[in-house]
Amino acid sequence: MDSALIPEGARRCPFPVFATGIAVVGAVLLWGVYAMGLCWLKGLNQTNMNDYYGFALWIWADLAVIAIGGGAFFTGLLKYVFGIDELKNIINLAVVIGFICYSSALLILAIDIGQPLRGWFIFWHANVHSMLTEVAFCLSLYFAVLTIEFIPLVLENRQIDKVPFFHNLSHNMHGIMAVFAATGAFLSCFHQGSLGGVAGVLYGRPFAYREGLLVWPWTFFLFTWSAAAYGPCFTLMVTKMFEGITRKKLVKDNVVHLLAKISGWMITTYIIAKIIDTIYWAGVTAPDMGFSLMDFYSGNAFYGIWILFTEIVICGIVPAVILTVKKYRENKKLLLVAICLGVVGVCLNRWVMVLQVMAVPVMSFDTWALYLPSWQEIATTILPVAYGVILISLAYRYLPVFPQEQELYDTNK
Amino acid sequence: MKIDRRSFLGLGLGAAAGVAASPVTWKLTDDSSIWTQNWPWTPVPHDGEVSFDDTVCTLCPGNCGISIRKIDGRAVKIEGKKGYPVNDGGVCLHGLSGLQYLYDPARVHFPMVKNGDTWKQISWDEATTLVAGKIKELRDKGMPDSIACVYGNDKGSIAGLYKRFLMAVGSQNFYTVDSMEKSWEALISRMHGLKASAAFDLANADYLLSFGAGFIEGWGSPVNNFLANSSRKERQAKLVQVEYRLSNTAANADMWVPAKPGTEADLALGICSAMISEKLHDADFVQKSGKAFDNFAKFVSEKYAPESVSRTTGIDVSTIKDIAVQFAKAKTPVAIAGRGRGDSAGSLMEFAAVHALNCLKGNFNKAGGFWTLENQDTLTWPSLEMDDVATKGYAKPPVGLTSVISTASLPKLFETINASEKSPVELMMVYNSNPCFTLHNAKAVKDAVNKIPFVVSFSSCMDDTAQLADVILPSHMFLEMSQDIHSGAGIAKRITALSKAVIAPVFDTKNPGDIIISVAKAVDGSVAASFPWENYDECLESVNGDQWSTLSEEGYIDSELTVPATPLVADFSIFEGFRGFPSIEGDEKSYPLTLVSVDTIRLASGSFASSPFAVKTVEDTVLIQKDSVIEINPETADKVGVSQGDYALVTTPLGEAKVRVNLFHGIMPGVIAMPEGLGHSFGTSSQVVTKGGAGLLSKNGATSIITATGGVSAASGTFENRYIGGKGVNVNELIGPITDPASGLDVAWGIRARISRA
Amino acid sequence: MTQDNHGKAHKFGMVIDLDKCTGCGSCMVACMSENNVPFKEDETNKKDSLTWMTVFKLSNEKNFPETDICYMPRPCMHCGGKGDHGHSPCVSVCPATATDYGYDTGIVSQIYTRCFGCRYCMGACPYHARYFNWWDPKWPDGMEEYLSPDVSPRMRGVVEKCSFCYHRYQEARDRAYYEERRDTIEEGEYQTACTQACPAGAITFGDLHNPEHEVYKLVKPDPHQCGKPRNPKAFRLLERLQTNPKVYYISEREWVRKAGDNYRKGEWGQQKKSDGDKGHK
Ligand SMILES: Nc1nc2c(c(=O)[nH]1)N[C@H]1C(S)=C(S)[C@@H](COP(=O)(O)OP(=O)(O)OC[C@H]3O[C@@H](n4cnc5c(=O)[nH]c(N)nc54)[C@H](O)[C@@H]3O)O[C@H]1N2
Ligand SMILES: Nc1nc2c(c(=O)[nH]1)N[C@H]1C(S)=C(S)[C@@H](COP(=O)(O)OP(=O)(O)OC[C@H]3O[C@@H](n4cnc5c(=O)[nH]c(N)nc54)[C@H](O)[C@@H]3O)O[C@H]1N2
Ligand code: SF4
Ligand code: SF4
Ligand code: SF4
Ligand code: SF4
Ligand code: SF4
Ligand SMILES: [Mo]
Repeated sequence: MDSALIPEGARRCPFPVFATGIAVVGAVLLWGVYAMGLCWLKGLNQTNMNDYYGFALWIWADLAVIAIGGGAFFTGLLKYVFGIDELKNIINLAVVIGFICYSSALLILAIDIGQPLRGWFIFWHANVHSMLTEVAFCLSLYFAVLTIEFIPLVLENRQIDKVPFFHNLSHNMHGIMAVFAATGAFLSCFHQGSLGGVAGVLYGRPFAYREGLLVWPWTFFLFTWSAAAYGPCFTLMVTKMFEGITRKKLVKDNVVHLLAKISGWMITTYIIAKIIDTIYWAGVTAPDMGFSLMDFYSGNAFYGIWILFTEIVICGIVPAVILTVKKYRENKKLLLVAICLGVVGVCLNRWVMVLQVMAVPVMSFDTWALYLPSWQEIATTILPVAYGVILISLAYRYLPVFPQEQELYDTNK
Repeated sequence: MKIDRRSFLGLGLGAAAGVAASPVTWKLTDDSSIWTQNWPWTPVPHDGEVSFDDTVCTLCPGNCGISIRKIDGRAVKIEGKKGYPVNDGGVCLHGLSGLQYLYDPARVHFPMVKNGDTWKQISWDEATTLVAGKIKELRDKGMPDSIACVYGNDKGSIAGLYKRFLMAVGSQNFYTVDSMEKSWEALISRMHGLKASAAFDLANADYLLSFGAGFIEGWGSPVNNFLANSSRKERQAKLVQVEYRLSNTAANADMWVPAKPGTEADLALGICSAMISEKLHDADFVQKSGKAFDNFAKFVSEKYAPESVSRTTGIDVSTIKDIAVQFAKAKTPVAIAGRGRGDSAGSLMEFAAVHALNCLKGNFNKAGGFWTLENQDTLTWPSLEMDDVATKGYAKPPVGLTSVISTASLPKLFETINASEKSPVELMMVYNSNPCFTLHNAKAVKDAVNKIPFVVSFSSCMDDTAQLADVILPSHMFLEMSQDIHSGAGIAKRITALSKAVIAPVFDTKNPGDIIISVAKAVDGSVAASFPWENYDECLESVNGDQWSTLSEEGYIDSELTVPATPLVADFSIFEGFRGFPSIEGDEKSYPLTLVSVDTIRLASGSFASSPFAVKTVEDTVLIQKDSVIEINPETADKVGVSQGDYALVTTPLGEAKVRVNLFHGIMPGVIAMPEGLGHSFGTSSQVVTKGGAGLLSKNGATSIITATGGVSAASGTFENRYIGGKGVNVNELIGPITDPASGLDVAWGIRARISRA
Repeated sequence: MTQDNHGKAHKFGMVIDLDKCTGCGSCMVACMSENNVPFKEDETNKKDSLTWMTVFKLSNEKNFPETDICYMPRPCMHCGGKGDHGHSPCVSVCPATATDYGYDTGIVSQIYTRCFGCRYCMGACPYHARYFNWWDPKWPDGMEEYLSPDVSPRMRGVVEKCSFCYHRYQEARDRAYYEERRDTIEEGEYQTACTQACPAGAITFGDLHNPEHEVYKLVKPDPHQCGKPRNPKAFRLLERLQTNPKVYYISEREWVRKAGDNYRKGEWGQQKKSDGDKGHK
């Protein structure tokens, strides 16, 4: 039915099956859109956020998608700037994921603010001291870059490509993509960092606060680094998901292993930095503010020390070891375990850096603040997931996302 | 068409520039944000000329001087009046919320008559004729003594008018609410033979020994006491608080003495005993009491030696002796009784026990001392005409007469009504009082009120009692009316003030003075003749006589306190034949715990219902959503098996209530405390039919605002006050009254109870 | 702007005597009625209840009858931020400059019409002094009558907080200019609504740069230590975070002073000593 749109030679499920799948996810999407509408029309009272807990579930989702979308900038950097050519076989996917993640992040921000129609004040009345200003500028610019990176892929659709204008446009854009990828990588470094800075500069919140370099707290660098380190895990995870669902091999093992190895080394260096940061924070920064480490991890059933252990050891050291050691990395199951742990780890880190920050009491007589999201928050948090699933499915069905697909199909046949 | 890099970039930039240059996008973006800054549903208060008007707050007996900030005649803010002798600029949260009472749409907008379940609007003429008609009817039947009037307090010319009205129709059934002031008056009359009120010069006393008086949580004249307490910190004066629970006063005190509840007076006698045995008392002063003092000394040394008092109260012998020494050594110490608002009045003998300490020190009628302020009626009334019916009716004793102090008591009135098959009261008028909420065993009071054939309310708001009335003739709210104010509430000052109408009436209400004058005129005959004034303003001016010009010009008169002509003598014979203090209701076996009502200053519990602002300040350890929260010691909670935040069922001999639990280390194990001021029934709606038509209007209550001059526009609505109404339980429904054998007043301060998880 | 105040900018601040405070809540209501703060039917969830001034209840956590409690009124602290340079925790993070530091007054402002409701400032403030308008402000019919034109009611979706009753400062300043006194404002001319109302007289307000003012005399702020109090009975909340609040507390009770900040085991004793050392130079 839609075969004319499908890349030449690619095998895709029958349209009704695809349509049904999309409809199901679409229903979830509509649910999210409804919740989003409620938040816009009735205001943020639709959420369970409160004055103690002003950042909530979806802000975590926002930070998390940006972190895992980090695969896009990092792969782009590796391919275009460092010239690691094999990665061209996975860069398309990384770009699509990046585009989804960043557009979702912008959408979440638009829902999250109390006065969406004034959102642009962040640019117009910009306060250069604010990390959030930096985030806003970098995020929107980088999203523009991602769009530019995404367009050529769209133009490669079989039908669009037939139009000479689009064909040429696509060709030309490919030609200059390195410039954008480099710009993107630069912007992305900054905004991943500034997102880390958002928490790190909060000197009224000893749990979040970090000392740093010039105006940037250590979390600035740690966030960029962790996004670069763990982002590829998510790219790989999505690849594996596609391969699982379509029961086809889509990316060659050497590409996967290469990216996994790079990710592994990045995680290794990151986790060392993170451990040093944690030790310095626990031993110097926090005590100066009157806190000992366990003040942050006790007195509350949920935020126990397990969370730090899980983040650093289980989701940090373990995947680092698996991904750096060739034997483990090339073991399919271990690889899968490692990339999943990596994704969980970076998401957990973002959780801790936004939500635990809100929960930890600061005044000596304050109590732990906990909150349970409302259904509207859950729906709007799932919204981008549904949107992502739909967009990536469309991309997979109609665009040549995996350049090696045909070749692999032929060899495996 | 071939696109090269240059043209691609050109195209892209061109498109971007095009969009950027398009004014529509920018204009829309800008306009939409401007729109959010001017949302039509966010009110914009209009500006205008600023003016200030001074008056007196009458929400509680404190009577603070206040200043109203107005914009073009619209009241926007209440502030304390600097330099006013009661409060010097300070003002409590209830006074500050005055405008929320004033502009409350849930007020009674116009006279109304009950018609089954709905209220029907009537004109003032109809209302006055209706009430006067009923009164004439009863008088014609020769039963004027079946008319009764309940009035918040009996000070001032408006109270005077209502009292006069009852007398003129021929009834002694004039009731005021029992209060600690009454207990003190009864005691002073008994021990000093004076008709006087008690006053405490807290601002100058150097040692305050308080037996549960929450004197920084509302007791007496709140703001005045706050100031005294603050000055105490500077003067290094000591405060010792005897209380079973760490109240704000106890926390603020220098010493907290947690005597078991109900044993405070024992402790007082124990201290007396210690003072006497150490010869620390003022021998000269007590000597005038002669033999009676010797008997007292013997009695306390035998029955209330510190050792035995220590066992009853749980307080160390050394602490008792220390307090005795400190109290005796202090230059100007005062002992204060008047525990808890739950009782409103206190047992005469308990007061006597505490006052014995004052008598042992003889620190009377001087700076920093205990004052006996002789009742002086500054108002001069013209003579009263009583016809035959009136004379006969007035000769009959009031309903609910207590044998002991020969005044009618409000709790007794309702008890009598409930005990009779047919209510002895045919018509009851209620002004500035809400007995269906504030009296113990409130449910029974409601039953009694329901039994009265005709109930007339003069309330400005649809309170728990007005809801049960047959007709409401709504009074002004205090900011809308003039009246004379006379200090009391234990303050060692004599202030007469003029509270002025500072705001044009918001609804179609009247000054209660005018209401009763017009009712009297409509009753005709001798009753009308007794009310010769054209209106209340004329009455106010004339009864205030000489002091009127000062009052109207200065706003208040702060008179010098006068020392009684004859030196004060203390008669200790009150203790002769004394056999212990009244105990609370309920057997210890089935009710192992003690339930007491406690107050939070942030809730109004007598005098008025709390404003939305006040309720907003209430902590979540007092109210959670619609549930009252009880205070319980963690140790007791453990035994009962309840923990923080749990739902629990409190059961007393009177009933049960579902509440939530707050663990508090500061409350004595075995005691549970429940907040006062919650559980108003006016959260529910009743329909109103206006002259314009029927209808349940907006969710916040009635809508249209009636101008000062204009008539009633098509206003109809309900009287829902969702900000306090329907929240929590009224602790008075769980506690029953206890009649003090010595005074006849209701002196219950708690009840035995048990609790279980719910 | 010309400063006639000893050549320095003002530094308005507040001193609250916790031993006098009775926890009555009048300051809360004074603030709400002065500043058009709305209310809703259920205000028992204290985490979404708009109270620019709020009164915390502290306890020494000891068992009966050793228990003690203390009420601590908390307006916005108008933090000077690290080094007292005006980079308050909240001001420094606001992306839209909707909250700003007034270098002439030391007051942290809040522009409701510019705030777009990102709530970053709320997260930054350790004192929970900032409140978000989760709902449209609504008054029962007719009650809008009492709204004051001096302070505009806030729309849904923006953050608000204590302003030190800035409109009262403006009024006092305008009067001073009008009377050709330029910027010389008498101590009594500019007082906040909560200070004025407090029935216990527990709150003192004035210029911390002016040695004549009561606030200065009460705490003796140390200019070399960003205004740290030299009165050993005075403290600022969370001093160690270097937020440099302009609200000071006084208490004779040691446990109360200790509760004013976080201390690790054994630190409090040393803290006290060093406090003493740094005291009167
Ligand atoms: N906020 C506010 N202020 C008011 C009023 C109001 O409604 N609201 N009303 C005014 C009026 S009419 C009055 S009479 C005064 C009353 O003011 P108070 O007499 O102060 O009344 P409460 O605050 O109820 O009680 C004071 C303390 O007595 C303690 N108490 C209760 N039972 C016992 C007991 O058995 N033994 C001992 N030792 N202590 C006990 C309670 O713990 C409480 O802390 O307040 C006036 N001021
Ligand atoms: N639950 C509870 N019961 C108590 C107490 C308690 O603390 N809690 N305390 C006891 C004490 S100390 C006292 S003094 C008594 C008080 O007992 P009451 O005097 O019966 O109590 P209030 O609630 O004071 O009743 C006053 C009523 O007058 C009305 N009102 C208020 N302002 C005005 C006005 O300006 N004009 C007119 N016409 N009406 C007005 C209101 O409807 C209000 O309900 O209660 C005693 N009983
Ligand atoms: S203490 Fe009483 S009189 Fe004074 S302001 Fe408060 S309610 Fe009014
Ligand atoms: S008004 Fe004064 S006494 Fe009351 S809570 Fe506020 S600071 Fe404390
Ligand atoms: S108290 Fe909070 S809101 Fe106020 S200035 Fe400090 S950080 Fe900002
Ligand atoms: S919520 Fe408003 S004031 Fe706060 S940081 Fe965001 S824009 Fe600034
Ligand atoms: S200074 Fe003004 S704005 Fe701040 S808490 Fe006090 S009354 Fe409210
Ligand atoms: Mo009372």
